[in-house]
Amino acid sequence: MANLHIPRWLLGMALVLLATLFAKNAYTVSIINLMATAALVAASMRFVMLIGETSFASAAFVGVGAYGAGVATTLLQWPFWMAMLIGPLVATVLSILFGVITLRVKGPYFMLIGFAFAEAARIIFSKTALIGGTSGMVGIFPPRELDAWLPSFVTLVVLLFLFLLYALEKSDFGKVLVAIRDNENIAKTVGINVLFFKVACFAIASFCAGMVGSLHAFVNNVISPGDFGYLLASFALAYVKVGGEGSLFGAVGGALILVVLGSFALGLGAGEQLFYGGAIVAAILLMPNGLHGVVLGLRQKYLRRERGAASQGVR
Amino acid sequence: MADAPEILLQTSGLTRRFGGLLAVSDLNLDIRKGEILGLIGPNGAGKSTTFNLISGFMKPSSGTLQVFGKDCTGVNPTTISRMGLVRTFQHGSYMRSMTVRDNLLIGTVQGLAKAGAAARAKRVEETAEILGIAQFLDAVAGTLPHGIQRLVSIAIAFAARPRLLCLDEPLTGLNQTEVHSTLYVFRRIREEFDCTILLVEHNMKAVMAICDRIVVLHHGQQLATGTPAEVRQDDKVIEAYLGKRHAK
Repeated sequence: MANLHIPRWLLGMALVLLATLFAKNAYTVSIINLMATAALVAASMRFVMLIGETSFASAAFVGVGAYGAGVATTLLQWPFWMAMLIGPLVATVLSILFGVITLRVKGPYFMLIGFAFAEAARIIFSKTALIGGTSGMVGIFPPRELDAWLPSFVTLVVLLFLFLLYALEKSDFGKVLVAIRDNENIAKTVGINVLFFKVACFAIASFCAGMVGSLHAFVNNVISPGDFGYLLASFALAYVKVGGEGSLFGAVGGALILVVLGSFALGLGAGEQLFYGGAIVAAILLMPNGLHGVVLGLRQKYLRRERGAASQGVR
Repeated sequence: MADAPEILLQTSGLTRRFGGLLAVSDLNLDIRKGEILGLIGPNGAGKSTTFNLISGFMKPSSGTLQVFGKDCTGVNPTTISRMGLVRTFQHGSYMRSMTVRDNLLIGTVQGLAKAGAAARAKRVEETAEILGIAQFLDAVAGTLPHGIQRLVSIAIAFAARPRLLCLDEPLTGLNQTEVHSTLYVFRRIREEFDCTILLVEHNMKAVMAICDRIVVLHHGQQLATGTPAEVRQDDKVIEAYLGKRHAK
């Protein structure tokens, strides 16, 4: 059994949750919510990268999660818990259907199909009158008791899913995913059903993407088709690339930093998208393994110096 | 015959075309239980295509394939592998970014899916011990020397404990000592684990030393089949390898 560092996770979660309790003004609260959902969407994007694929379809599943919450809350008036979960569950089912058909192709082909799927989903959202068409849905409120605690609640849900993805990656299941990325033929020749594992990975990531959508809907109370275009997936990709896809913490770190920087870039108007594009290019040029790679490099340098100092001490 | 050997794999008339090229033509191959069978031939003879055909990675244009007594013509590699036929690949037959331990673990995942993590870990240790790579278990496979990577490739396949292990040029790039120790491992796997081995190899000395029987391919055709001694004296084989001048 892999060491999951559970005490460290618990401590980290407690500290992060404690910090969210101090957020009282509306701007800080909105940034915390943005950071939390960005972190989960980045982690979801990176989870699919474990099998070596880039999933632009994630944007559609975030949308499905959000509209699930919207429909269940405003049209069906379901209780909060059910409304929160229905979107992610529908996203999972759709992702399995989508994955079984499309995960037979790889790389740029899979990415382009996902891209088309995300755009098709956005158009379907905006053409369906029942869910508000182009103007979207309004009035998706969480229960009143939760209002004061919303940023903490959102952060807690995100942290739980981050831990789930972390534990899955460390498990033998996660190792099979990486093996498929490294060398699919070996996985086949030792009897692993490669398509099954790919679809399972994709479905788990899509459930998380759906959860991001659901949280997004309850946080903003308003959703519109424009929120779920391919740009959303491009942002997620930027988070992962800037943070470094070598580790979950890299992806999460990238999301946190880009959200903070991006909230300044909001003042730039259309420049915001230029900012994100620039961030990806700069990250790939300056730190090919992202922030995670930079941190690893620094740690190695430090360790080497320590060892050097120690051996000199012996002499 | 009193005790005919059990046939693990049989092809009849197995043929594969690539456009106008006959990569493998009318191949009638049988692999007997417990033997080490060598498959040799000059470059382009169709050895790799044969490997792809019998492991399900490629579908034959015509002919049939029987694995462990069942018709497996056109069956996918995962299914064939689950029956007990596991192969390696000529180049980089391992996972670069993973540790040797995790590489071997991948070999055990399917067979020991329900046996639990402890059983898988034990199988990994045991396999590494037999291949002599136990001290490299925690190293990342991509950073190891070529010879060790070759052993890791074999170990992944062997970790699945196949009944028929198909090795595609496992000795390429190994030095003399490594070749000897690897051949020793092959014998040990055969004896202790009841594992039949199909070997594609260019190292003639090694093939002659270890194989019970040898099949020679040339231009996709089955040129000769027999014991090393028989094959070595076969005129057609000498001609294919050395030219007409050397044949009688």
